[in-house]
Parts: sequence; C-alpha cells; structure tokens
Amino acid sequence: MPENSHDPQLLKGILSVLLLHLLAEEESYGYDVVRRLHEMGLTDVLDGTVYPALARLERGGRITARLVASTSGPARKYYRPTPAGYAALSEGIASWEGLVAIVSRRLLQPVNPPSTKGN
Amino acid sequence: MSATLPLLDRLRIERLVWSLDQQLYDLPRATRISTRREVRTNLTEAAQEVGASQAIRNVGSSRQLAEGYLTARFGDGPRHSWIAAVVFLMTATLVATSLFTEIALAYARGVSNAAPHMTGTLTYDGLRYFQNHVTYTFTDGHETHVGGGFSVATWLLLLFGTILVGRLWRAIPALRRR
Repeated sequence: MPENSHDPQLLKGILSVLLLHLLAEEESYGYDVVRRLHEMGLTDVLDGTVYPALARLERGGRITARLVASTSGPARKYYRPTPAGYAALSEGIASWEGLVAIVSRRLLQPVNPPSTKGN
Repeated sequence: MSATLPLLDRLRIERLVWSLDQQLYDLPRATRISTRREVRTNLTEAAQEVGASQAIRNVGSSRQLAEGYLTARFGDGPRHSWIAAVVFLMTATLVATSLFTEIALAYARGVSNAAPHMTGTLTYDGLRYFQNHVTYTFTDGHETHVGGGFSVATWLLLLFGTILVGRLWRAIPALRRR
C-alpha cells in the first residue's frame, strides 16, 4: 500500500469530524476542503466522498452554507460549523481520542509468533 | 473561471452534472438545483487544477455521487422514489385508458356488425367494477358514446399501486426515521 493510501472504511467514520475541524479552522467551499485534505496527506480522499459528506453535515444542521461571489467564476458555497457543529466536533474529538487510545494499547503490543503445537 | 476551460472539458463536466441531476429528482427542487450548481463549480475549479479527466475521475460515477447525496438527504435505509411513483402512475393510466377505450369500441363494433343500420340507445357495463357504464347512441348505424371512464375502484387501485411502487410512505419523516 502506498504511503499516503488509506483504507476508505477506516477514514469513513472520522471524515465528518475531520471536515468539521477543517471548517472550524477556516470557512471553505467543497473543492477547497478536498484540497486541504490532500495537503494533510489524505491524497486518496475522493471529491465524490467529500461533497455528499458536506451535504450530510448541512442536512444535520452541523454546518451552514452561504453563497459567496467569486471574481474568477460562479458563486461558491462556503461552509462553516454551527453551534451544533462545534459541539459535535468536541464530541467527535473526544470519541476519537478514546478509540485511538484503546486500539493503540492493543495494536502496539508486540506480537509473538504462534507456537507450534506438538513440539 | 469556466471561460478558461476548453469547450470539450466544459462539455464533459456538463455531461456529468446533467447525469447527476437526472438521478436527483427525489430531492426537493431547490436542493437539487443547489447541488447541481455546487458540483459544477467544484468540478470546474478541480478541472483547472488537475485537468478535466482527473477531476471527473475524482468525483467518481454520477450514480455513486447521486447515491451519496440521496443518502445524505434521506439516510442510509430504504427510501421512497417519486420518479418510480410517477412512472408507474403515468404508465398504468395510459395502459388502462387504452384498454378501456378498446373495450368500449369493441362493443360498438360488435353492435354495428350485428345490426349495420341500428338506431337506438344501448348501455354496456364495460369492465365490471373498474369501468363506468358506457351509453351508446346509434343513428342508422352511426354510433356515439359517453362514459367508460375509470371507476372509483380503478382510481383507488392506481393510487394504491403508485404508493406501493414509489414506497411513498417512506416520504413521511416520522416513518423514515424508523
């Protein structure tokens, strides 16, 4: 697996928290969010995954959108978290940290090769 | 921005946006229009950075993208389909109208064949329970008729079929959340 390649299923659960974090950091539009994810190193995150995820967050009232005129083309839809989004972000981070701590404790333990029975 | 993209690239983007739009008819109109615009804007910008081919590849197939938007709107579970409901209603109405018309005309033809110079008024039940009575008026073999439309039972069947095919009960938010 290439260095920047990730199992999409692993990322799926945390993508919405990641998006909330990026938008809390800076109000962004769809493709800009994709670009920022790529800059983070998540180069295999597809645009087609991010756009519906933003729509889902908006539908859930966690982000809000506004149209901003662009000098270089059609108006862009900029997103930023709502108060509910900030709350979800805090919960998401806490939940992620808890999960990482538990999983890491187990996964970072050295694994002994299985003993051969009968010897 | 779009002016700097070659015409062919803009057409490729439009093709994907159009294809996506065709699969989003179950979304409310305003949401569908907004989604279409947003995807077009994002794709155009991506195409300028990485090329149209790569931008379109990164978005994935219109089917997957549409599924993502529909799931974002209605949730992961099974959902209703206005498109399926409308297609069923239109097709069933067309087929039933055609059938009922043929039934009414066949009766008139039968009478005309049996009595070419018939004069008088006749009533035919049509397709019992599903079709209203047809009243024929013959004047020296020339026929006019009224009636033969859908009965209440037919309308109810159409309504029931439409709800069933479109799974329209899932459009009720309280039921969708279950």
